[in-house]
Amino acid sequence: MNNNTIIQFKDVTKQFADDQPVLDHVNFEIERGKFYTLLGPSGCGKTTILRLIAGFTQPTSGEVLFDNHIYNHVPANKRQVNTVFQDYALFPHLNVFENVAFGLRIQKFKEKDIEKKVKQALSFVNLAGYEEREVSEMSGGQRQRVAIARAIVNEPQVILLDEPLSALDLKLRTQMQYELRDLQRRLGITFIFVTHDQEEALAMSDEIFVINKGKIQQSGTPIDIYDEPVNRFVADFIGESNIVKGTMIRDFLVSFTGKEFECVDQGIAENKKVEVVIRPEDLHIVPWEQGKLQVKVHSTLFRGVHYEIICHDSAGNEWLVHSTKKAKAGDTIGLYFDPEAIHVMVVGETEEEFDRRLESYAVDDTSAN
Amino acid sequence: MQTKHYQKLYMVPYFLWIIVFVVAPLLLVLYYSFFDVEGHFTFTNYQKFFTPVYLKMTFSSFWYAFLITLIALIIAYPVAYLLTKTKHKQLWLLLIIVPSWVNLLLKAYAFIGIFGQYGLANGLLGLVGIAPKQILFTDFSFVFVAVYIFIPFMILPIFNALNELNDTYIDAAKDLGASKWTTFRRVIFPLTIGGVKSGCQIVFIPALSLFMLTRLIAGSRVITLGTAIEQHFLVTQDWGMGSTIAVFLIIAMFIIMAFTADRKRGA
Ligand SMILES: Nc1ncnc2c1ncn2[C@@H]1O[C@H](COP(=O)(O)OP(=O)(O)O)[C@@H](O)[C@H]1O
Ligand SMILES: [Mg+2]
Repeated sequence: MNNNTIIQFKDVTKQFADDQPVLDHVNFEIERGKFYTLLGPSGCGKTTILRLIAGFTQPTSGEVLFDNHIYNHVPANKRQVNTVFQDYALFPHLNVFENVAFGLRIQKFKEKDIEKKVKQALSFVNLAGYEEREVSEMSGGQRQRVAIARAIVNEPQVILLDEPLSALDLKLRTQMQYELRDLQRRLGITFIFVTHDQEEALAMSDEIFVINKGKIQQSGTPIDIYDEPVNRFVADFIGESNIVKGTMIRDFLVSFTGKEFECVDQGIAENKKVEVVIRPEDLHIVPWEQGKLQVKVHSTLFRGVHYEIICHDSAGNEWLVHSTKKAKAGDTIGLYFDPEAIHVMVVGETEEEFDRRLESYAVDDTSAN
Repeated sequence: MQTKHYQKLYMVPYFLWIIVFVVAPLLLVLYYSFFDVEGHFTFTNYQKFFTPVYLKMTFSSFWYAFLITLIALIIAYPVAYLLTKTKHKQLWLLLIIVPSWVNLLLKAYAFIGIFGQYGLANGLLGLVGIAPKQILFTDFSFVFVAVYIFIPFMILPIFNALNELNDTYIDAAKDLGASKWTTFRRVIFPLTIGGVKSGCQIVFIPALSLFMLTRLIAGSRVITLGTAIEQHFLVTQDWGMGSTIAVFLIIAMFIIMAFTADRKRGA
């Protein structure tokens, strides 16, 4: 851990009653000033992680550290963290100004300073002039900004955002994604953002934690996670993928669908059973005889920017192709892909083992850093 | 058009009910208040109301009603709060509500037994070595029994308000640095004020016109407007004066209702 670390989870487990643990030995570090995203399906434990950081609940075992101090039993009102709740939780009996001023009044700021800070926070989220509005008179997007203003006005070290965009319509959501990212850069404080939307996570984050069933499956930059998913869950959850069974022949050579293909993966035992991932946009339609794979088109769907084409090979595997080229159902076509497009996953490999394998050959691979 | 007509038709029984059982009695009370014992039209009843005897009675009615409401509120709020934190809250609530189904007279007589010279209360005092005390027919016993009788009506609306309160508001307050007490003062209480108001209304208005209890428990030491109305109608047969007092009580109730009504915030 370095001294830029602000929050750390050490072996944190959270269990309600005698059920399965909601969080199962979770470890991670959060650095100052970055935009983090917790990504995972509904019920995987994202909100629970935020509640542990905010101090609304305590871990069953393990440690939650802030600045290297154990914070397990520090109450929520003593933590330098503010939350933007999923339903915003704006106080209905207070107007916009008083909602934003709530934290400042508790800290006993002078009236003059409160006014200045609230106005500043509201203009930061483009809501200058809305001070006297009632919360009930604000639209969903505006409420969300009030909730953000209420959090940032206290100048916390960390802001937690629990699916803040999920209630907004698509257009507003995209706009708010830009605004949030921009806001985080301007403030320079740590954002921990929760979503179940992988596109949102990829678009906004410095670092993503992919979570499933109370375990962190993989953490890394959006590009790492997209290009090198550690397992089938991550590959499936982060965008659409073609995943087929294969065998590692030796370094840089993998076999699937009964053929051998050149690849860039190494450090895997020979003849090891593996899963091969190829993203649909990495598959190119070529004439039958030029393809690395020969497939029959099953159906096509026009998606605006591209066609979504579903094909089957003779071994019965399904291949999803995103292409700007058109293909008719029943056509037989060839699919071409670069060696770099192949990503090999070792079944059952944990993130640590995966990272170790990557590091072991990073030394002689200049493209990795 | 057609459906609107039908809707009006459905309203007829409702309006009939209101007219026969609410408006007509009110008008009758108003009508009777202008007649003296001999049946002559007069304003003397109203003049009499503004004499010290009745003004004192009015004041004492309000004072006791206020006291009863305040004590009921002070006890009911924490009780309602604890109830929302219990596991089987609906069951506990039912246990608190059930006594309110028992007839008021029965409860009054039960308390006469408990508070009497040889009752349970003095028995317990005796056990800790305190000589028997006069408990019945004191202000204390009156307020105590009245609070006991009214408290379920105070607990219920407050419980409902607390129960509907979204927990994330409490989390949000804590998140913004509020201590437990500040969270209560700045968030929980303001957001449940509606329940408090309804509770006060439901307790204060009947407490204002209590009569039976004043005689049975307070031994006519406490004379309220309710008692006076009862006396005028049943004992002195001065329906005019009884009605006049009733008119003032009704006006007072309307004022209280207007005062405690929920101010609507923009939808
Ligand atoms: N207070 C609680 N008591 C019991 N189970 C809970 C409680 N809070 C959350 N859970 C369970 O923990 C799991 C994870 O919940 P949560 O962290 O809210 O998931 P997410 O935010 O990822 O959708 C869910 O199965 C949920 O039912
Ligand atoms: Mg959640």
